[in-house]
Amino acid sequence: MTSLLARVDSLGRFFTKNMEYTFRVLLMVYVSIRAAIFDKAQGFRQIFGVISAQIYFTGWQALPLITVLALGVGGLLVLQCMANLSLLGGTQMIGSFLVVMICREAGPLLVALVVIARSGTAVASEVGNMRANREIEALESMGINPMSFIVFPRVLGGIFSVVALAFYFNVIALIGGFLITRFMQDMPLAFYTDSIVRAFAKEDLLIFLLKNGFSGMIIFVVSCYQGLSVKRSPHEVPQQTTLAVVNSIIFVVIFNLMVSALFYLNELRNLGVIS
Amino acid sequence: MKIESLKFEGVSFTHDGQDPIVQNVDFDFPTKEVLWVKAEEGAGKSSLLQILAGLQIPQSGKYMINGENILDMSFEEFLPYRLQIGYSFDYGGLINNRTLHDNLMLPLLYHKMVSPEEARTRVDGLLKEFGIEKFAQERPAHVPGRVRKLTCLLRPLVMRPQVLLLDDPSVGLGQDSIYTFVDHINKHRKEGCFNHIFISSYDEKFMNHFEYQIIHLDDGQLYFQAVDPEKRVVHL
Repeated sequence: MTSLLARVDSLGRFFTKNMEYTFRVLLMVYVSIRAAIFDKAQGFRQIFGVISAQIYFTGWQALPLITVLALGVGGLLVLQCMANLSLLGGTQMIGSFLVVMICREAGPLLVALVVIARSGTAVASEVGNMRANREIEALESMGINPMSFIVFPRVLGGIFSVVALAFYFNVIALIGGFLITRFMQDMPLAFYTDSIVRAFAKEDLLIFLLKNGFSGMIIFVVSCYQGLSVKRSPHEVPQQTTLAVVNSIIFVVIFNLMVSALFYLNELRNLGVIS
Repeated sequence: MKIESLKFEGVSFTHDGQDPIVQNVDFDFPTKEVLWVKAEEGAGKSSLLQILAGLQIPQSGKYMINGENILDMSFEEFLPYRLQIGYSFDYGGLINNRTLHDNLMLPLLYHKMVSPEEARTRVDGLLKEFGIEKFAQERPAHVPGRVRKLTCLLRPLVMRPQVLLLDDPSVGLGQDSIYTFVDHINKHRKEGCFNHIFISSYDEKFMNHFEYQIIHLDDGQLYFQAVDPEKRVVHL
């Protein structure tokens, strides 16, 4: 009995702790947006500079890595499915398969993981070092709200970069897939593109924007939050950076899972499988 | 916004798990003076200056500027006061991913206090006056400590605030820089800037360049300390 109560207690604490964390992160989103909108004294030109730097580091500089990853993933997925589809005579299903696997599932998750590894860590350690080096206090002393100067531009630049990278990833992965089909089966380009275009539904655009937009927001909000959680000492920076990676991955995976689950439940409802 | 008075009413502030820095303090800070904040090592001079700058929020009490409790204000409401309060850290505080020039330009451009041309003229003039113009396009990590410290001191000066809070300003500066700095302060005081100056320092030689009043922070309380009328004052 005691053991059961202890487990319930520990589960309750775990749940409360995570809810509190989520609430704090969401509060930071609200405060940074509010500060960016209502701070009349701020220099938008300075903030735009931070946004463009973020897009450059997160979006532009990640292109080579995303290109290699997308070509590889697109090629591998086609390699795996072509054998089975050819056996079953379902080659025309290649488009549906690629849209589901690349655009809906693998794309958002892989792009998010790359951005967490490259930029989430960079932002968490940069903001953490700024805190340890008293740069955040210095900004405040100059009347510059760190929420509108540090957090808001990074989150906005991050969202834009993740959406753009995901779009690029999808295009390159589909090209990678086509190169493999050309190599294996000499599939005509018209057949390949036609199969893909037919497989796209208007929900795909919604899923694309939801998954990638919110993944970008989650990564950069969590990374900024962990960076700002550094109190004074530089030794906290690597600890907070690790937490930023772990929490970002957990939040992104849970969010992607929820969107996919809701989407497929809706599809099942439309098909009349569930009421 | 003109700052006429600075006052503590029942202010208490403690860092977690430490002795109180100030405890239920009522204090009317003299204005239009250079105030030398003295205390034992670790008694909380820096924290006191940070409270005065609005960077630390006391656990209780009121910090009144011009009769208004600024502790009740939001960031935006406090901003007009904040822009009249310049604060210089004892160490750190420069934005590391910006050059020294950009560090000095940032507050002026962000708040559009002056035109970009005027800001550039002001910053270039200041860098030249202190002889560090050759480091202007370097980042803080790439310059000697003396230049870094000097840039830290110059950043609040570019805004020409009414209240100037300097935490250990003379540490790490050469004698020439100190003379230039004191000269700059005195020149601008005559022109109506830096009306109320608070300096925490152990450097009596540096402080003797000013006509100062002393406030002593001891055991969580603030006291006026009599100043020796024979103290040496150097007018540059």
